[in-house]
Amino acid sequence: MTTEATAEATTEAPAAPREYSWRMPANWWTRNRHYFLYTVREFTALPLALWLLWLLVEIRRAGDGPARYAPHSSTAFVVFSVVVLAFALYHSYTFLTLAGTILHFKVLDRPVPARLIVLSQFAAWAAASVVVAFVLIWFAHE
Amino acid sequence: MSEAVKPQRLALMHLFWWFMFAQGGVIAALLIPVHVLVQGILGPLGIVPVVDRHYDTWVSVLGNPLVKLYLLVLIAFPFFHFAHRLRYLLVDFGVPAAKSVPAQVVFYGGAVVVTLVTVYILLTTVPI
Repeated sequence: MTTEATAEATTEAPAAPREYSWRMPANWWTRNRHYFLYTVREFTALPLALWLLWLLVEIRRAGDGPARYAPHSSTAFVVFSVVVLAFALYHSYTFLTLAGTILHFKVLDRPVPARLIVLSQFAAWAAASVVVAFVLIWFAHE
Repeated sequence: MSEAVKPQRLALMHLFWWFMFAQGGVIAALLIPVHVLVQGILGPLGIVPVVDRHYDTWVSVLGNPLVKLYLLVLIAFPFFHFAHRLRYLLVDFGVPAAKSVPAQVVFYGGAVVVTLVTVYILLTTVPI
């Protein structure tokens, strides 16, 4: 910068402030176990969404008629489901555990302990799973 | 002064999207694992009989209005949860454009589209 330019800069109105925005390095989430697990938790949405879209296709295929209907049985589909199940279990574990932090209420003027709230969430998960599995299997017999 | 007398407005849209995010998360947490396990793994491997493995049983179940309502909740709600999570995952990965209004339209609009498609498929496949 010349001295002339410096003098000009001091006498005139200050220029718009330069922005030095801090950018996270692209691999920030691999640097720390907690960052990594956080990213995995947020990422679970994608495999779960894909599996629900598959379920939508499976429903749609029932409209094809009896002659053309064949259930998915390929190894690739089972492998896909196993991967999705791992992400689904991680979502369930993290989301239901969160309830102990978020939910606060009192019974008989005493705060309900967080562990009890989390336990009730997991009990609800177990109950819902048993009911859904029962329906899916029971109605397979005409 | 003028700010002090401004009537407080309820952030209804905020309330709505957070409600959908939370409900979608709960429904996904409680219901998706068992569906993936039974319909995606145990059924295809032939370990247990599953309702969607045979045309007759699958169609008779899909014709039930309660089942249709259940499937709508199971499929549509989680997408509002997914939309929010994936949008912020992009922000965390250094894509500030994911915060913009167009990105919100794409992500939450996508969840609305999935809901409408689900309604359409449930109503037209094995109609009640």
